[in-house]
Amino acid sequence: MRILFVLFLFVLGCSSSVDEPIRYFKVETPRPFGYVNGDEISQRIIFETRPGISLERASLPGKGPLNRWLNLNDIRVSQADDQHYQIDLRYQIFYAPLEVKALTLPSFELQLNQGEQHLSQTVPAWTFTLSPLRELVVRQTEQGEYMRPDSPPPLLNTRPALYGLLASVVTALALAVALAWQYGYLAFNGRRRLFKKALRTVSGISKNEMATGLQALHHCLNTLNGQPLFVHQLADFYQRHPHYQALHAQWLWFFNYSNRFYFSPGMTVVSGDIQQLKTLCQLARSIERGSR
Amino acid sequence: MSLDRHLSDSRDHALAFEQQINLTVLGLGAAVRHIVIAVYARGHVLLEGAVGVGKTTLLRAVAQGLGGDFQRIEGTIDLMPADLLYYTYLANDGRPAVEPGPLLKYGDTLATFFFNEINRARPQVHALLLRAMAERSIHAFNRDYALPHIQVFADRNRVEKEETFELPAAAKDRFMMEINITMPSDNASLEQLMFNPRFHDTDALIAEIAPGTRYYELNSLAHTLQQQIQASPKLRDYALTLWKASHQPQHYGVQLSDVDMAQLMLAGASPRGMSYLIRAAKVSAWLAQRDYLLPEDIQAVFAVCMSHRLFLNPMYAYRKDQLLPELMNGILQQVAAP
Repeated sequence: MRILFVLFLFVLGCSSSVDEPIRYFKVETPRPFGYVNGDEISQRIIFETRPGISLERASLPGKGPLNRWLNLNDIRVSQADDQHYQIDLRYQIFYAPLEVKALTLPSFELQLNQGEQHLSQTVPAWTFTLSPLRELVVRQTEQGEYMRPDSPPPLLNTRPALYGLLASVVTALALAVALAWQYGYLAFNGRRRLFKKALRTVSGISKNEMATGLQALHHCLNTLNGQPLFVHQLADFYQRHPHYQALHAQWLWFFNYSNRFYFSPGMTVVSGDIQQLKTLCQLARSIERGSR
Repeated sequence: MSLDRHLSDSRDHALAFEQQINLTVLGLGAAVRHIVIAVYARGHVLLEGAVGVGKTTLLRAVAQGLGGDFQRIEGTIDLMPADLLYYTYLANDGRPAVEPGPLLKYGDTLATFFFNEINRARPQVHALLLRAMAERSIHAFNRDYALPHIQVFADRNRVEKEETFELPAAAKDRFMMEINITMPSDNASLEQLMFNPRFHDTDALIAEIAPGTRYYELNSLAHTLQQQIQASPKLRDYALTLWKASHQPQHYGVQLSDVDMAQLMLAGASPRGMSYLIRAAKVSAWLAQRDYLLPEDIQAVFAVCMSHRLFLNPMYAYRKDQLLPELMNGILQQVAAP
């Protein structure tokens, strides 16, 4: 009979521990005294649930003011695995007591879900004492003011930021100058703007103004070459300006066309010629900008 | 035969003529091209070059290709004008006899006349020759002899200066071109000239040349050619600018090292010189199968037509050989067309 009773108790004990939704629950709190206005209080809740039970995070108190004197500055939930939870709360007190006073962090309920079922676990209230910062009556002493302003905060060192700003400004300016150079916006950079000007001239010409277009391009080549450029000097020209060799066939066309236009009798200009001249100008301009 | 066809056929003959001369004298391509241009432009030529580089062979080849008669005379200090016209001797019968000299011997069939070392001859001889060159006629035995087809090639010895008479400016100006004959520079040509027996027998070498355009056709062909090749207004501007630049190169951006450009020129090109330049350029255009002039045509003959016409200030004259090529190159490089 005694054996049966012991077995019964044993089975009862086992069933009880199996049914508990939370196997382990602990609230770690700091010292409960010696706080003053503005102090932060950290609280850690550690618990372990049965498998299949999970924390309903919406049940946690939200950040922000909880009551007139208490603020919840931060709340973090971390999980080692599905069952082990750790909740870190950071409260801040805004209360100026006239004498030592006991205050209580409010309790709240942790909601746990098991499928359709809802369980809850109470986080108990925690009482601590808060002390005043000073005596009630401000007294004058020979040592000077009893109440004195805070020491001025140390100034942040802005020198690295200033250097960073200067470096950024210099880099930005250098990039702007480089881009202006590339696009030929610099007025003194005449040799980088030659074909840009020629392209502008050639873009607006009609069949009757072919001479203007040819003259513009001849002027570019002559200026770039430093002296008048003739077709038989192209090889020398390429040695000094190798990028333009990519347009060799087009330069030959240009010089032959120009020769026929200026020197041969009975030359007729067709619109295709102007288009070809424009294309050549555009190609030369892209080489001048360095994009080819 | 149409005019175009005639010019085209003649051009083929001219190019074949040039090719044959190039096979006869090796490595003188540029000089041969200039001589062909001078032949078809009917201009006299001053040759310059060291001894033994093939000047006489070249001229004999030209004479052979054109047909007509070839005469040559050596310039010496005791050469008198009369020596060009006649010579006297005692005939078999013991009586003095007079025979025509080199200029008169062949009369109107004389096509190529080579005056070797012209600067060794006296100015009197120059004067006679200049009349023959300019007027293509000569006065002797109380009458005028016409030399309608004569083309004079004169060689100037530039090595020795003793006992020489420098050609006066007026004499030089009557030559269309001064062509420099230099030794071939490539080893293959030099080796051929040394070891190939073909080049040892000049007579046989010359005999290989087949006649093309006949010498008596040249005058009319040159006339037609000069009429047919057109010069556009832009080209005329270009030539005019070149002419002005030959007088005042400093105004056209020409700069030579260690030279005060404003002091450099004593005289630029003469009108006759410019006319010769354009005539030669037209032949160059014709050889390039064009009926219009391009700046390249003028540039191709500018140096040979101009170098002997530009006279430098005496203080720069001693550097003439260095300055003149630089000057002409500078003018061509600074004058734009269009």
